[in-house]
Amino acid sequence: MPISYFLVLSALLFSVGVYGVLARQNAVLVLLSIELMLNAVNINLVAFSAFFGSEGVGGQVFALFVIAVAAAEVGVGLAIVILLFRNRQTVDVDEMSYMKW
Amino acid sequence: MMELAQQVGATAAAVDWHAIAPELVLAATACIVLVADLFLPDDAKWLAMPLSAAGIIGTLAAIVSLIGAGNRLTLAGAFEVDGFALLFKGVFCVLGLLILAISFHYFRVGRYYQGEYYFLMLCSLLGGVVMSSARDLVTIFIAIELISIPGFIMAGLRKGDAKSNEAALKFFLFGVLSSAVMLYGMSLAYGATGELLLEGIRAKLTAADEPLIVLSVFFIVVGFAFKISAVPFHFWAPDTYEGSPSPVAAFLSTISKIGGFVGLIVLMFRAFPDVADTWRPIFALLAILTMTVGNMIALRQTHIIRLLAYSGIAQSGYVLVALALIEPGATASNEQAFQSAVIYLAIYGIMDAGAFAAAVAFARRGGSYFIEDYSGLWQRSPVLATLLAGFLISLAGTPPMAGFWAKVFVFLAAIEAQSYLLAIVMGLNAVVAAWYYLAVVKKMFFEKAELAEPVEVPAVLRVAMGLAAAALVAVFVYPRLVTELAERSLF
Amino acid sequence: MNLEVVIFGVMFVVALGCSLAMLFAPNAVHVALFLVGAQMALALAFLLQGAFFVAAIQIIVYAGAIMVLFLFVIMLLGIDLRESLIEPLTGQRGVALGLGAVLAVGLVFVGVQGADLAAGGGDGAAALTELNQGPGNVKALARALFSRYLLPFEVTSILLVVAMVGVMVLARRISAVENDRRAGVPAAEEEAA
Repeated sequence: MPISYFLVLSALLFSVGVYGVLARQNAVLVLLSIELMLNAVNINLVAFSAFFGSEGVGGQVFALFVIAVAAAEVGVGLAIVILLFRNRQTVDVDEMSYMKW
Repeated sequence: MMELAQQVGATAAAVDWHAIAPELVLAATACIVLVADLFLPDDAKWLAMPLSAAGIIGTLAAIVSLIGAGNRLTLAGAFEVDGFALLFKGVFCVLGLLILAISFHYFRVGRYYQGEYYFLMLCSLLGGVVMSSARDLVTIFIAIELISIPGFIMAGLRKGDAKSNEAALKFFLFGVLSSAVMLYGMSLAYGATGELLLEGIRAKLTAADEPLIVLSVFFIVVGFAFKISAVPFHFWAPDTYEGSPSPVAAFLSTISKIGGFVGLIVLMFRAFPDVADTWRPIFALLAILTMTVGNMIALRQTHIIRLLAYSGIAQSGYVLVALALIEPGATASNEQAFQSAVIYLAIYGIMDAGAFAAAVAFARRGGSYFIEDYSGLWQRSPVLATLLAGFLISLAGTPPMAGFWAKVFVFLAAIEAQSYLLAIVMGLNAVVAAWYYLAVVKKMFFEKAELAEPVEVPAVLRVAMGLAAAALVAVFVYPRLVTELAERSLF
Repeated sequence: MNLEVVIFGVMFVVALGCSLAMLFAPNAVHVALFLVGAQMALALAFLLQGAFFVAAIQIIVYAGAIMVLFLFVIMLLGIDLRESLIEPLTGQRGVALGLGAVLAVGLVFVGVQGADLAAGGGDGAAALTELNQGPGNVKALARALFSRYLLPFEVTSILLVVAMVGVMVLARRISAVENDRRAGVPAAEEEAA
């Protein structure tokens, strides 16, 4: 199967993720969109890895690292969200106005 | 165990243990601090700080033991100990000690989770130390995450304060987003070459105008631009610095930022130097925007941490100028630009941490973070006023402090590379920056104090600031101190 | 048309459909579930390419553990409320749509460029069999992970410890007594500003 199929899928998912990050206001939803972007990265890595054959095990290893780091990031991010929610009762990014931009 | 290993056909990884000794010492220190904190009674939790300091000094010793041992390449070329790596490992450790000094009283009196804070700080520092030696995409990615993720947590340590929560969330979202963008670029670079090692990528890059390469470099640069808070990706920085505990702001503005720069420099000079034509214009644009916007907004700040945040953004711009001078092939001017970037980062770290230390010292006990309250500081605490003035003068780039040479070297490199536009923009910005830095100095020395009571500075902070200021003066007198190091750090 | 292409087609439609649905679902729980759907489809994509271990991890860790954590937090906080459809910043969605579209066109262009690359290089399927025939997918990964990538692997373990400590520090609810003793609230004398 041509590698370009997978690259196109990855490109579309990444773009959808970028749109989600820019358009959403809820911090959890923004984080979900970023996860989608990370998934797009993994499609790329695995597709290239398969493409390069026996030389290309590095791509899959990289994908594993991306998943592990994503787990750490999500844990920390959700802890921050819980903390914020306790103090503010909202997780709207646009409602954060304590500090001006 | 051995049998299993043989079944899988695994061979023991050839690891040069001496080469990774600094990382091992630092990682061990972090674990010891975390465990020791469990057993310390509440009123002795502050012991985590001297413990961390001892660990960082041990790391420095390990780094010194590697000097003169030649270039060491281990883990199949993914980890290299060369002059560049050693220099930045040293810079990170020295900055780590400074940050510890800034943190000590703040976290002790403020009754935070002290042990956890020092653990997180050491881990983030470890990220910087690993980053200096990282020579493949995976290691660079993991190192930058290890720098950032403890940062997200530290920014939110003032748990009851909504500002701090907001600072952490903003930093987190921007940080994770930038990682995702950077990763997409890295995956494209991997796809274009089939290599994760930077040397391999460089060897296999053939056509510079291939869209795959251009997009890959673009995404990687944008990802790092967030980390080093270059305009227009800087929005998180001032809010995060103001909202997080001030020592953490000092940490983010020095170690975290320099860590991002080190990753960027390693990637650009080891993997993509031959396609510099694709990234030089991006850097030039980023540099001009970053310097100008950072300085313009800094002019209007009334809060010292926000002033340092915006001026720190502008300072990143000067380093970006040096990176925007690289041309494929032109070795002599490239070397000069590279050295000026390295020198700038090293000096910037010390003077910025010093300025933060002075701000934290002043904000203790009834002080404030507002610049108007600095008036007449000279009468209230001559030592603090002199030290802060020294750091601000250095940041402004005027003699007799090391910041002068930092700016001069970048400026000369720009002239040498015949990038007159960048040189002019930089010169104008240096003048604007001098204006707001010196305004604070003027306030401290020539205006009347509203309060008469003296400002007491704890001994740890005084020693740390004194040493930092002495180092800056020494470098001003003998610039060979840094140029020598920079020459050895050439790739 | 062979079976592989059919599977790919189904996977493509499900993944893209789920991710688009993520954008328009107003309910946070639905958004998370759509992401799980997309991730399941992507696991299929990894299987198609012979990346068996990554596919398993994608389902167990990503779609399983991470997404369950998301759902858990969403339900815990009760923020499955409908997000307002009013734009807080005028034109935010428009700009986002424009940027997303430009990005999509650019990246798809590059993806198609990758087809040229594929034509010049080897055949993907052949390379895949080669990879999995030698030591096998999991063994090949293990070898790489524990030799060349040993350092990042160990650093990742530190990263996970950092995350654990961080989560406990941040999300721990402070009892009233302890609040006085060691809350993150600075003492009054320390922070006059």
